[in-house]
Amino acid sequence: MKKYLYIFKSEIMSNLQYAFDIFVGFIGYAVHIFIFLNLWEYIYSDPNELINGYSMSQMIWYVIVTEILWSALNGRKFNRRISEDVRTGNISYNINKPYNYVEYMLSSHLGITSFRFLLVTILGMVLGYIFLGSFPEISLLGIICVLISCLLATLISIFLIIGLGLFAFYIEDATPFYWLYSKMILLLGTIFPVEFFPTIIQPIIKYSPIFAVSIAPAKLFVDFSITTFLETLVIQLLYLLVCATIVHLFYKKGVKKLNVNGG
Amino acid sequence: MLMEVKNQIYAIYLSIKYAFQRELLNKFTFLSNIIFMIINNACFIIQWVILYSIKDEVGGYSFKQVLLLWGVASFTFGISRFFFKEAFNLTDTINNGKLDNYLVQPKSVLISSITSSIEVSAIGDMLYGIVMIIVFGFTLKNVLLFLLCGICGALIIVSISIIFSSLSFWFGKTEIISETVNSLMINFSVYPEGIFTGIIRVMFYTILPLGITTYLPVRIISDFKFIYLLYLIIGTIIFVLLAFFVFYRGLRKYSSTNLMNARV
Amino acid sequence: MAVITVEKLSKNFKVKIKEKGFKGSLKSLIKPKYNIVKAVKNISFSIEKGEMIAFIGPNGAGKSTSIKMMTGILFPDKGKIDILGLDPTKERKKLAYSIGCVFGQKEQLWTHLTPYDNFKFFGAIYDIPESIVEKKIEELRELFELDEFINNPVRNLSLGQRIRCEIVASLIHEPKILFLDEPTIGLDPVVKEKIRTLIKRMNKEYKTTVVLTSHDVSDIEKLCKRVIIVNKGQIVLDDTMENLKYHYLNKKIIDAKMKEKINLEDVDGITILKDKDYNLKLEVDLKKKSISDAINLLNTDKIVDINISNVPLEEIISEIYKDGDK
Repeated sequence: MKKYLYIFKSEIMSNLQYAFDIFVGFIGYAVHIFIFLNLWEYIYSDPNELINGYSMSQMIWYVIVTEILWSALNGRKFNRRISEDVRTGNISYNINKPYNYVEYMLSSHLGITSFRFLLVTILGMVLGYIFLGSFPEISLLGIICVLISCLLATLISIFLIIGLGLFAFYIEDATPFYWLYSKMILLLGTIFPVEFFPTIIQPIIKYSPIFAVSIAPAKLFVDFSITTFLETLVIQLLYLLVCATIVHLFYKKGVKKLNVNGG
Repeated sequence: MLMEVKNQIYAIYLSIKYAFQRELLNKFTFLSNIIFMIINNACFIIQWVILYSIKDEVGGYSFKQVLLLWGVASFTFGISRFFFKEAFNLTDTINNGKLDNYLVQPKSVLISSITSSIEVSAIGDMLYGIVMIIVFGFTLKNVLLFLLCGICGALIIVSISIIFSSLSFWFGKTEIISETVNSLMINFSVYPEGIFTGIIRVMFYTILPLGITTYLPVRIISDFKFIYLLYLIIGTIIFVLLAFFVFYRGLRKYSSTNLMNARV
Repeated sequence: MAVITVEKLSKNFKVKIKEKGFKGSLKSLIKPKYNIVKAVKNISFSIEKGEMIAFIGPNGAGKSTSIKMMTGILFPDKGKIDILGLDPTKERKKLAYSIGCVFGQKEQLWTHLTPYDNFKFFGAIYDIPESIVEKKIEELRELFELDEFINNPVRNLSLGQRIRCEIVASLIHEPKILFLDEPTIGLDPVVKEKIRTLIKRMNKEYKTTVVLTSHDVSDIEKLCKRVIIVNKGQIVLDDTMENLKYHYLNKKIIDAKMKEKINLEDVDGITILKDKDYNLKLEVDLKKKSISDAINLLNTDKIVDINISNVPLEEIISEIYKDGDK
């Protein structure tokens, strides 16, 4: 455990140096939020109006949170790192080392993500407050619950991205898998809450990983209740367990294949 | 003079042809890049279907106009990235001394360097754009205007990237600025102009001229007025000239591979 | 007739200084500090038509910077350059038609195309009609012995073959001056020798003026009649190869590993630089003694390993400095 903590720490430290670069990169985040603000302000002719049960400010806070999760994760780069490791055979150097590759990547990327999460959350909250003038009604306990949910969401995402990257064991270019995943998250889990989709596909989205990695924490933030939290917690923990197990097995199987091929 | 232009165009043609051949070496990647880009653009229709189920018009655009907006945006970005891909990596080219080879050739340094490779996925963007103009209204007038707008818009997008990338002649590592500007151009250009207000609208016609590259063409095609077309052409000329001016000004500061970041 | 005249040329680079650590990065963002590096300081020289001249000097001495200013890649801060009557800062395109350039570390060929197609591409870049290009390729293909690989994609060629093609590509438009920046970098000795022979042959055939840079003394020894040694941005020496050889390159270093310890003493012409356990290091002054004299001095039966080399360039330069001080 201690060594993973060290990896986590050193990633945070090395990222501090790029704080400025990252921060400027978050202009992109601010722009997305700005666009959605304008879009929803146009669509809500009256700010007190409810669309599919959401007020305008809830709608925008929802997007702020999903975008925080997405932008902190920086998944495309991470996915490329994994599949490059597999493709170039770099992964085989790691096999002999006294740590597990999946755990290594998890702690390493969690380090990067935590740092980005902190920055982009500050940015997101400030932007939201400037644009909307108030925060959603949520207690301190609620905030802690949302943060737990965000952490779980990030862990699941990282496992999923590692898993998608490991497809490189089997096909030359694994990026389309990640690409497809990112499109699904963006369209079904970032822009709109579940209630905006046709009723037939709502349950599908609700029980898909998209809910666990993106929708759940955001929804919790704009409309908190302890029962929703407990429900969410169960779903997320289940997903975490399943994803972690599958990715570990998948990795072991991939490594075996690598050994057969002589690395 | 005329001969020089002719020779320059022939050199561009050869450069793009060879770059294209290089990409064709891996046919599977070539095709999948194009197809994925088309699907990528098509996915966003979902967003608009949902938005238009809530309201009949968004930012003054009908659903059909949003499709046209997407068509114009993908087509212009497609052209710019297919033919001038390296205009979007220009910061790197400048900082890593990759202009050297073009500087010893008797052709335009700027043009040679930005046309030295192509972006395959941009073909998907162009095709998607063409499909959208067909959906919007397939008439000769629309198609011709669409082509003209696409070319002008692409030239402006490329010019903007050149202008901001050229900053690195003076300041070194400025990728972050040119990348941000380029992504802003894309992000804003797929939303109707009418949802934005105030200062941002002014930016769209000045430092982030997507008002000229995207909104103006939508107006030209769906509500033709000659004056709009004139604005577009004048805008294109101004931005292209500005790009050449800034780039060649910066070139005097070019330091090839001698720019190092020494750590003390 | 001088084809290149350089007068009082200077070039500085501004290099950002970064301090270590997070605090340092932050500081350099807010208030960047710059170091002015004087890459080239007030140099003047001229080169005659048909000459083969070498710029040598250690890494970072300013030789590439000088070449880059002559070819129009870099803008000089001060000074005047005249290449074939043209000013590279003002008439870059015009100049490009009459010069050829090869940068050992920067490929200009398309790697997925064959050398043949590449040459045709360069023909078009220089506006040469197709029929003339084809004739020229034929001629150069013979001169540079490209038959074996002229129809293989460049990415499948060895480094030495690639450099040969790079040189040919830069000769397609029959330049009057050829600039070669580190043409033999990274090549093994046999291939280096081959490239040298080809360059020599080319110079003889076309009377092309050749300006080359290298940090390998043997490149220059074999190719050039005149040498300009550059160090720290200044010309340390501008002289004929013969003079240089006589004064500075007349010494060889012998490193020998012996089976057992032998006792040697300095003789006139042979200096012992190091004598530690079984390892010996001798300097032989070729004006006085030959290499074989030195080897005979060591008992040949007892040599385990031997290496004979030139005096390193850095030492020659410091010797030139010392001479200048006298």
